[in-house]
Amino acid sequence: MDEFNDNEISKLLRLKRYEQPAPGYFDNFLHEFHRRQRNELLKQPLWRICVDRARDFVFHFNLSTLTSSPVAVTAVVICAAILSLRIYQTPQPATVALKDRPVLAAPASTDDEWTLASPVATRVFSTRSLRNMTESAQTHRTGTPPRYVLDSVPVSYETTFKF
Amino acid sequence: MDEARKDEDQRLVARTQEGDAGAFDDLVVKYTPRLYGLVYNMTSNHEDTNDLLQDIFAKAYKAIRGFRGKSSFYTWIHSIAVNMTLNFLKKRSRRYSLSLDDVDASIQNDKEFIEATASSSPVREADLSELQKRLNEAMMKLSDEHRAVVTMFHIQGMPHAEISKILNVSEGTVRSRLFYANRQLQNYLDEFRKNPVT
Repeated sequence: MDEFNDNEISKLLRLKRYEQPAPGYFDNFLHEFHRRQRNELLKQPLWRICVDRARDFVFHFNLSTLTSSPVAVTAVVICAAILSLRIYQTPQPATVALKDRPVLAAPASTDDEWTLASPVATRVFSTRSLRNMTESAQTHRTGTPPRYVLDSVPVSYETTFKF
Repeated sequence: MDEARKDEDQRLVARTQEGDAGAFDDLVVKYTPRLYGLVYNMTSNHEDTNDLLQDIFAKAYKAIRGFRGKSSFYTWIHSIAVNMTLNFLKKRSRRYSLSLDDVDASIQNDKEFIEATASSSPVREADLSELQKRLNEAMMKLSDEHRAVVTMFHIQGMPHAEISKILNVSEGTVRSRLFYANRQLQNYLDEFRKNPVT
């Protein structure tokens, strides 16, 4: 039986180890490797270089081994304590409470007597609107933009004296 | 594994980790021919092999600071090479023509080649160059994983245990893949023997 057995296949395959690249390839490979490394380094952004340097620093001091030492554990605990203290001692932001609007006292007589007091200071404005919502709704026409009207009369146009 | 080689590798790795780039150069020079054979026989293309090798060593250089020596450098660098090549092959559409005709003419004048083929009766009968071509074709018909195992075992001469470490699979898996791959190669080459001029 003239068939390829495992041994013959193995022998044939071993011959493939003689398939080599062009002469001089291995001599130039290292130069090519250096050239590519340099090019890649030049293409890297600044932040990447910084990260690499930081990583090198970490590996240089072998910080990973320090994690098992009591000193490192203590340092981490102290840092955490300081941070938590700082967080809890941060002053609370000032909260502005909504206070009642100061009610200005009305003068004793506003209608029957003459007064030199400024109407702005003495007049108590009513916060109640002069018209109610149903009235507004009635005046508003569909399709027209809403129109806003001040309910109070401007100060400068108001007479301060009554006869 | 050769202990002397292992020790030398460990020294070079340690020096590289301390920042001696020249030590890594020594590792590159040392492992380039071997890794070239591995990658080339998996890709069957010289240009792809060159690019991959450059990437493999670049990746190894970046990662070597994290290398803690749990495995030997030999296993580690071969793992990087095989994994990167398998990833590359998955991405690459099979360029079938590539270097299947790349069998070096010089190989037939090689003394070791002549000696190796002289005792093989089927080989003697067939044209050696054609047979090598057929062998390459048969190799390319294997799956990437099977080709990797065949390359490492038959071409690179690695033991099963080493291959299992590199591929991170059991020795049984390695043996099973080899068995299946051998059957496939055998069938393909037998066809060639029956119809040598197809």
